[in-house]
Amino acid sequence: MSLFTMNKVRKTFTNGDMKEEILKGVNLSLREGEITALVGASGSGKSTLLTIAAGLQSASDGQVLFQENNLSTMNQEQIREIRSKKFGFIFQFAHLVPFLTVEEQLMLMLDVSETKLKKDEQKREVEIILQLVGMDHRKQAYPSSLSGGEKQRVAIARAIIHKPKVLFADEPTASLDSKRSKDIMDLIRDITKTLNITTLIVTHDEEMLSYADHIIKMSDGLIMQEAGLNYELKENA
Amino acid sequence: MNLALKEIKKNKVKFLILGSIVFLVSLLTFIISGLANGLSQDNASLIKDLPEGQFYMNAEAEETYNLSRINSSMQEELINDYKDATAFSIQMGFLNDQHDKQQSVVFVTSTGSEIFKDVKAGEILLDRSMEDKGVKIGDRLTNPQFSGEFIVKGFVDQSKFSHAAVAFINIENYKELYRVDEMQLVFIPKENAPQEITGLQSFSKQEFLKTIPSYNAEQMTLTMIVWFLVVISGMLFAIFFYMMNVQKIGLYGILKAIGLKTSRLFTMMWTQMMFITLTSLALSIAISQSFNMVAPEGMPFHLSIETTLILSGVFFVIGFIGTTIASLQIKKIEPLQAIQQGEM
Repeated sequence: MSLFTMNKVRKTFTNGDMKEEILKGVNLSLREGEITALVGASGSGKSTLLTIAAGLQSASDGQVLFQENNLSTMNQEQIREIRSKKFGFIFQFAHLVPFLTVEEQLMLMLDVSETKLKKDEQKREVEIILQLVGMDHRKQAYPSSLSGGEKQRVAIARAIIHKPKVLFADEPTASLDSKRSKDIMDLIRDITKTLNITTLIVTHDEEMLSYADHIIKMSDGLIMQEAGLNYELKENA
Repeated sequence: MNLALKEIKKNKVKFLILGSIVFLVSLLTFIISGLANGLSQDNASLIKDLPEGQFYMNAEAEETYNLSRINSSMQEELINDYKDATAFSIQMGFLNDQHDKQQSVVFVTSTGSEIFKDVKAGEILLDRSMEDKGVKIGDRLTNPQFSGEFIVKGFVDQSKFSHAAVAFINIENYKELYRVDEMQLVFIPKENAPQEITGLQSFSKQEFLKTIPSYNAEQMTLTMIVWFLVVISGMLFAIFFYMMNVQKIGLYGILKAIGLKTSRLFTMMWTQMMFITLTSLALSIAISQSFNMVAPEGMPFHLSIETTLILSGVFFVIGFIGTTIASLQIKKIEPLQAIQQGEM
């Protein structure tokens, strides 16, 4: 079942008299509970597509539909509300709040997403999620004392603690070495499958594609190819 | 979750430095203001400490109280017609102590009233600064133009005129000293004072202060120094708070990206501004008021709580404006911009 749909989405950037069309009418559907990987060369428009889908920037034309909501016609406050309650984000860098401990980062996310949990229930929830990402032993640590991999684990915990419907991940392993990248991708796959979170992930790392249920290849602002990965891998074999 | 206080708690040194700057600059302004007010008091506390009212001098005196003479019949008429009206005179002079050492003073006398100190013939009341110059109660002071002696009956606080100590003497002694029968001025408290009296020129307290030679020029210079300092300090505050917040654009962008309301970011910025400003100003007020109490006797320093609170209010408003200008920048920032900036 499709949870998230984009219809004929276009994005044009204007620089003086120059107009550059980054997305040229993209159609995309995300199936509930599945991991969809967006791949393509640098400049193909995959990150722009992800940020438009996540409500971090608006499309020049086209529709972005999430559940019953049309993000294209909503104001900033309405989009912010959806972003805080229904979406989760993992970026290339962890982007943790430098003055909050690991535990506080997650408490803040619960606070922002206006979950109706009481304080002690929130603390319990934080404990569970931190155990899930293997960071419960560092809950009082500040980001400055964490390694890159640890930071990214906390960022994943922050992205999922409010049980989002959709998780957007933009090159989540780009700043990590291959061992840590694999660990992080294992973690993302396990968590999203356990919590039935629909995931859209942008990556240029071929190895990461094996974690996706679905792959979309982009080139020059258009979707060129769409396939289930397992099928494609078998085909290649 | 109070993000503002959590950030202050984590970055104590950064906020301590910022708070120290606000504290030092505001303390500097308070102290300079205290010195300027002190000089102003030193020049005219005799007049400034009077209740609000109207001063009248002869219209022909061309706004120079020294040249004013109010004839006796008019003086009598005014004192009888207007409740609490007082005629008084001010003249520069000097006194010789028992060791024949000369001390400059300003002789002040008045027709009996509660507004000016009432002294009996042969007695004198002096500003307390004379006590520091070795004059004691019971001392006998002389003046070559006065046939008798003045016995010091006591000292009064904050009675200065033209930077000299005021000496209150009896009206009969004054007449002998200066060979005059008429008083220079009439003062009528505000509630009883008429706007116009034929033959006399009327002055409010502020207007009268301006007729004192050098007072106006001195005050303009001092006021200019204080407000120049206030403006520079204020701009410094505004720039500091602006810079402090603009530097955190990346952080605010990420907070916006995860869904934090812009109003909550504003609250965070204002809370930090208020915390730093109020703490620093409270410390500055405490130290400047303590200095007010322990300042050396000879140093003209006068800092009222009212002045301190007005200056604090100005600093607070300027800090608030600086933060608000920064917050408008923050309002415009796109979360995507912060994400693309890389790791904080």
